[in-house]
Amino acid sequence: MSGEGRSRGLLLVVGSVVVSLILVGAYLAAGGSSYEPEKVQDPCQPRPWSNPQSLSEIANQFTVSALDGAACQLGVSREALARALATPEARERFKKKYGINDAKLAKAIRAGLVRAVDDAEEAGALSPILAVPLRETVQRIPLSQAIEFINDAESFLGNVNSFLGPAQSLLEEFLP
Amino acid sequence: MTWVLVSFNLVMALAAVPAALVARRFGPGRTAAIGLAVFAGAGLACGLADELSTLILARCIQALGGAAAVTAALELLPATVGSEQRATTIWAAAGATGAALGPALGGILTELVSWQSIFLLQVPVALAAAVPIFAVAKHEAATGIVSTELRRTGRPHLWANLALAMVSAAIAAALFLLVLLLIEGWRLSPIEAAIVVSAMPLAALLGGKLTTLVPDARARAAAGAILVSGGLAGLAFLPKATIVLTLPPQILVGIGLSLVLSALTETALGGRAPQAIHGGWTISARHAGVVIGLLALTPIFTAEIDQQRHDAINAGIAVILDSPINPLLKLDLAERVSERLEEEKGKVPTIGPAFEPLPDDPGERSEVQQLQGELQDQLDRGATHAFSTSFVLAALLGLIALFPIALSKEVEL
Repeated sequence: MSGEGRSRGLLLVVGSVVVSLILVGAYLAAGGSSYEPEKVQDPCQPRPWSNPQSLSEIANQFTVSALDGAACQLGVSREALARALATPEARERFKKKYGINDAKLAKAIRAGLVRAVDDAEEAGALSPILAVPLRETVQRIPLSQAIEFINDAESFLGNVNSFLGPAQSLLEEFLP
Repeated sequence: MTWVLVSFNLVMALAAVPAALVARRFGPGRTAAIGLAVFAGAGLACGLADELSTLILARCIQALGGAAAVTAALELLPATVGSEQRATTIWAAAGATGAALGPALGGILTELVSWQSIFLLQVPVALAAAVPIFAVAKHEAATGIVSTELRRTGRPHLWANLALAMVSAAIAAALFLLVLLLIEGWRLSPIEAAIVVSAMPLAALLGGKLTTLVPDARARAAAGAILVSGGLAGLAFLPKATIVLTLPPQILVGIGLSLVLSALTETALGGRAPQAIHGGWTISARHAGVVIGLLALTPIFTAEIDQQRHDAINAGIAVILDSPINPLLKLDLAERVSERLEEEKGKVPTIGPAFEPLPDDPGERSEVQQLQGELQDQLDRGATHAFSTSFVLAALLGLIALFPIALSKEVEL
């Protein structure tokens, strides 16, 4: 083979290496190695409350806290639990997949609601006077009611406020 | 789908060398004519198949016909094109072009007509190719001239064929996985995917031009394997689920496959006789590589897409749960997304319908639309990332092929 043939061959090989490295390097520099779904947060880690003002905002964070607490108890992600609570069919699939019975699910959801009350109290979104009876209530409610509380936290908190709000005003008047 | 592809390639791999022996024994004209007739008949059966098992069986028979036709064609070509060397070059280039063109053509036919049309179209094409060969077959039958130089068959070129198998495994992954990524992952229609992957055959044409400029077959093979690996690595590290970003890697794979397949086939055939037998070995190596590539990478990709789909859904639900929208609406959305996922079980879903109807309130509507975009982004990330490991492994296969390429003897054509 002629010298020119050899040098053309060498040039082709070197050119191929360079072009390939440039392409892969450019894609990696543009974030190619990290282009994947974002990792979900561990539900057992605290999630900061962002100073909620309205009832809707409080309910929003209450729901997330309750889901975190329940998911932490069950050892699943908050997202998997949220999907499971969407419909009775989804709940059955979830229970079967993770080998969870109704009693264990109820216990976990009640624990989640307690964590939500604790988080709300700590964030100043719920007064201690409301938090105490609320904490007691959520620990005794049946599973369906507990799921309803998570699914419609706004109504739940609204009702709590309607029932216990006047009592709170009275207590605040008498207590120092 | 994997088994339809695997069955054809497996039978091709096993039948290519025996088919070449048959062509040497009974005459390439007769073998090619019968092969094309079998290919056409089995193609018709594929097009009319109403069960997967029938389709797979018909594909196996089609592969037998194909093996006979392709290996016998190499014996017939020198008489048509004037020299054995030119015949080898054309035969090798035809193989590379076919490999690059197949997915694009298949996608267009599937979308415009049906998947059955891919096979039904093969019937007239195969019969048309058989017409001139029948004259050769008739001449062979009349004169009784067939080669009986079976004992002169040299040993197959081990390193070139080994490299062909490895590179073919990588190329099969590039073609098969990219089409799956576009259709199953990014939800493109078959014709859209066909248009996108047509970048590869177009680039292969450019690679064909380089073949004439560089006479050193080993250098072309090495450069081709590097480009195929570079392109596959590019597909493994796509920074965004955007069609445009698949084009540069496809161009590299297209040029690379054209260079490496033709160079290795020329090397495997160079100076060896009879051509049909050694051509049979290259066909066998290439199709065995495709089978290995599909069987090795499909389970990895299947497991990955399940995991990534799960991660993407969780990431998407996290986006919804962390959003500031009304809690009732967010849980309702989470429910609708879950239902949508159940409807499209096993696939990466199109998430749009889960967000309809949009809320009437303009502020809430805008937030929900933003959420939809973010959830879709997570699904796109998951679908794209699911293919990464398979593309990386395929790229490694291409790089490993450099060892047998380095060990293959330099061939002057």
